[in-house]
Amino acid sequence: MEIVIETKNLSKDYMRDDNSVTALKNVSLEVRCGEFIALMGPSGSGKSTLLHLIAAMDRPSEGEVLVLGQDLRGFRKRQLARWRNRRIGFIFQAFNLIPVLTALENVMLPLKLTILDAKEQVEHARTALELVGLGDRFHHFPRQLSGGQEQRVAIARAIATDPDFILADEPTGNLDAVSANDVLGLLAALNNEHGKTILMVTHDPHAARFAKTTRYLDKGMLLPEGQVPQDWMATPVPPPSATTPAAQAQAQ
Amino acid sequence: MSSSYVSLIRRNILRNRRRSAFTVASVAVSICLIGLLFALTRALFFGGDSTPAQAMRVVVHHKIALTQDLPVSYERTIETIPGVRAVTSLRWFGGVYKDARDPKNRFAQFAIEPKTLFDVHPEYQILQTAKERFVAQKTACVASRPLAEKLGWKPGERITIVGGMLPATLELTLVGIFDPPRDDTSSEIYFDRDYLRDSLPPGDPHRDMVQQFYVEADNQSAVPEIARQIDDAFGESPYPTKSEPEQAFMLSFASFLGNLKLFLSAICGAVTFTLLLITTNMLSMSVRERTREVGILKTLGFSDGEILAMVVGEATLIAASGGVIGCGLSVALSAALASIMRSAPGFVSVVRGLGFSPVVASLTISLAILIGFLSSIAPGLYAARTSIVQALEYNG
Amino acid sequence: MAVPFSYNIRNLLVRKTTTLMTASGIALSVAILVASLALVDGLRAVFDNSANPLQLLVLRKGGNSELGSTVSTEDFEILRAKSGIAIDRGGQPLVSQELVNVANLPSSQNPKGMNVTVRGLSPVGIKMRNVRLVTGRWFQSGKREVVIGKAVSDRYPSARMGNHIRFGKGDWEITGVMDGGESVINSEIWGDFNQVSADYNRQDSSSSVLMRATDPVAMDALQHSVEADPRLNASTITESAYYQSQTALGAPLEFLGILVSAIMAIGSGFATANVMYATVVRRGKEIGTLKTLGFSEGSILLSFLSESVLLAGFAGVMGCLMALPLNWVTTGVGNMMSFSEIAFRFHVSIEALLSGLIFAVVLGTAGGALPARAAARKEILTALREA
Repeated sequence: MEIVIETKNLSKDYMRDDNSVTALKNVSLEVRCGEFIALMGPSGSGKSTLLHLIAAMDRPSEGEVLVLGQDLRGFRKRQLARWRNRRIGFIFQAFNLIPVLTALENVMLPLKLTILDAKEQVEHARTALELVGLGDRFHHFPRQLSGGQEQRVAIARAIATDPDFILADEPTGNLDAVSANDVLGLLAALNNEHGKTILMVTHDPHAARFAKTTRYLDKGMLLPEGQVPQDWMATPVPPPSATTPAAQAQAQ
Repeated sequence: MSSSYVSLIRRNILRNRRRSAFTVASVAVSICLIGLLFALTRALFFGGDSTPAQAMRVVVHHKIALTQDLPVSYERTIETIPGVRAVTSLRWFGGVYKDARDPKNRFAQFAIEPKTLFDVHPEYQILQTAKERFVAQKTACVASRPLAEKLGWKPGERITIVGGMLPATLELTLVGIFDPPRDDTSSEIYFDRDYLRDSLPPGDPHRDMVQQFYVEADNQSAVPEIARQIDDAFGESPYPTKSEPEQAFMLSFASFLGNLKLFLSAICGAVTFTLLLITTNMLSMSVRERTREVGILKTLGFSDGEILAMVVGEATLIAASGGVIGCGLSVALSAALASIMRSAPGFVSVVRGLGFSPVVASLTISLAILIGFLSSIAPGLYAARTSIVQALEYNG
Repeated sequence: MAVPFSYNIRNLLVRKTTTLMTASGIALSVAILVASLALVDGLRAVFDNSANPLQLLVLRKGGNSELGSTVSTEDFEILRAKSGIAIDRGGQPLVSQELVNVANLPSSQNPKGMNVTVRGLSPVGIKMRNVRLVTGRWFQSGKREVVIGKAVSDRYPSARMGNHIRFGKGDWEITGVMDGGESVINSEIWGDFNQVSADYNRQDSSSSVLMRATDPVAMDALQHSVEADPRLNASTITESAYYQSQTALGAPLEFLGILVSAIMAIGSGFATANVMYATVVRRGKEIGTLKTLGFSEGSILLSFLSESVLLAGFAGVMGCLMALPLNWVTTGVGNMMSFSEIAFRFHVSIEALLSGLIFAVVLGTAGGALPARAAARKEILTALREA
């Protein structure tokens, strides 16, 4: 399977007041097509930073990010924006829907940057919303939706452009247990049934079980596969067994 | 406690410098406008303060229109009124000097009684010798210094003026230049009314008629009574008079501008109201954004009243700063306006009225403070009354 | 490629109070601007309508106003005999001897009385002007009768048909009301030339002489002829030029109006900028989201800029609507040249309204430019973190 995302010796430092803080150190990660990876680690371990760098929302201090073989370093801002629109679907912890737009309009937003005409945009958006189970909520505003529903709209928005991969930053952070399960199940289904490549950052081990692989970040460094941080207080994630949702989904 | 208020307020203001600066700027500009309008209204309709010289004079003219004549014999009656120190008569000649198309050559020419002119205008400074020559020589004239300087006249200059409304040509000799008070830039010459009378053809109805009388009073308090007595004396005659203090007379020219007073007041009102709206809105925005912070302050022990005081204090301080700056700007603008208007004829008293006035200044600054206060009450009460929990949960 | 406008419009609607308050400042500036333009246009219309392009005014040499001018009866006879003068159907040369003075009429607004131009003229003078009687009849020669202009009748309660007004040496009976269209005629009182002259002790002279030429070439020749004539002490000015010079009257008012409007605009500009900056902060997360979705800096800038322009445009329309009713308002202004009041109607023209709108849009752009730029330049991560 081809490599969708590859980072080589990625490092990121930034200044906080007069101090230099290292968020990422020498991270080399490969994500292949069809994978569903959960990135875990304590707060401050740099998980979100890694996600941002991959999404070209920030620039690395050192190292490279290659997406489908393309090095993002040479890109100018406008090119990066275009690229992001085509290639990535981003899901935020806080949903980040535009309050004054309806569900349908929110999902149509990224489509406005494509060459699709208005009719086609509406078609695509409807399809995406139906896929996430919100076919009856097209014209609702975010304030009229529950948290779980809002995040599902955000997922619909993320897949509307048929991106090469999906990045999710703590997607269940603001949700209650039931909604969280819905959302995670949806992501798993997208991965299993539709072959979507997903990279998900989370601190919740329960959420991580929905993914196929889990990697850990500790103090800015990516731990080799299978390795868990030493002072990690949470219960380690057992390998997928027949009883986990991920295994169940795979079995179907 | 109060010093920590002040420092909290100061830090709040400095926290978002741009917001505070823009708010101050907005207030300043609007206050500048209001100040300018106040000054204009005052200058046009209340004439500022009359100069000490003006306060002692009464102007007498025909009741119906300035263009109607009065008999020169009225002078004798006026002289007998108690409180009158001196009287001079006035007729505007309205003749042509050289080429009237050149604005330089347009100035007022008045036929007066040379003996009493300077008694009625004690503020005009002139050499005693010149004054004497003016009285002695019938064809003599005196000019104001601004006029003399403009046309390069020196004593001895021969000045010819061709009559327009009156069929007479005047051959005058300049015998003296008088200095009006510093801010008076009128360009005018005075000559002997007897010379005019003799230059008019016999039988000309204007021969023994004048247009106005200027009366100098002994003291300021006598002025209204003098005016009344003059009008009473001539009320039933074929040439009834209207007498008023010079200030009021000058102001009657402003009535030419029609409904300007209404126009100006309307604008003032509208601007003030709009400023109030805008400032209230900006303050509300500020307060709303800092709701969570208000929650924290309350958790720390600040009472509702103290929160209200801080909000109001901050708003008033910003508004006051804007007011002071705006006031300064409006003074500068008034001065600029005055210097533009100086070149326009007939606006001398208006120009004077546009000078710095403590009344206008304090009015504008007070208005600014009032607006700051009023506009912060609603947001302040809102902030003070929010419960701690509500405040901390506030999500923008 | 752009963020949809509905995004901006709805955001403006969601914050109704803020939008309205900010808009009111701009609306006021626009209203004042349009009102000032309307005033000047109205004045200009009155003066333009008062002049006949083939007529010229003869005044004393160097004079620039009828009120301060003298032309003797002898001179009148000389002028009458000149060539190039138009002739009416009855064979009479169109040359009119006129006496101009001022009467004082008390009004509700001005109990001290307002000055109105009194014009003594003969039937020839009436013929030379574009005027008709609304009610009553023209004054008769030898009688103390006057006809008043429509505006005089409207604005002075004392001036009604059959009433008397007092000027000069006594009372005059009002026998008719005239309408000269939108011109100074409606602000004048007309009486018989000889009667009026006698009243003002001006038996041998008039203020001015109005002459009509047969064509523009003749008018030119006539002007030269009069000015060069050594027997006369006169100067000429075409009626058009004469009234044109009086439009300068509106200049200080126009200046004041524009000054007020400009200052108000600056204040509103700051207010708009302030509001937009606050908006940019408040919608930081949205900006970050939009950028994440792939919208370029340019489109973000355009979006926020169009929001302030939309706001200003709306305010501009409000301001125009506020000023529009003026179009039906008549008021008067004093004329320093004729020493009397001239009535005129505000003219709110399409150009004035368009100027108001453009002014508003420019203001919206100016006020919103810097905040829009700030929005566009925000780093994605910084924007997303804004609470």
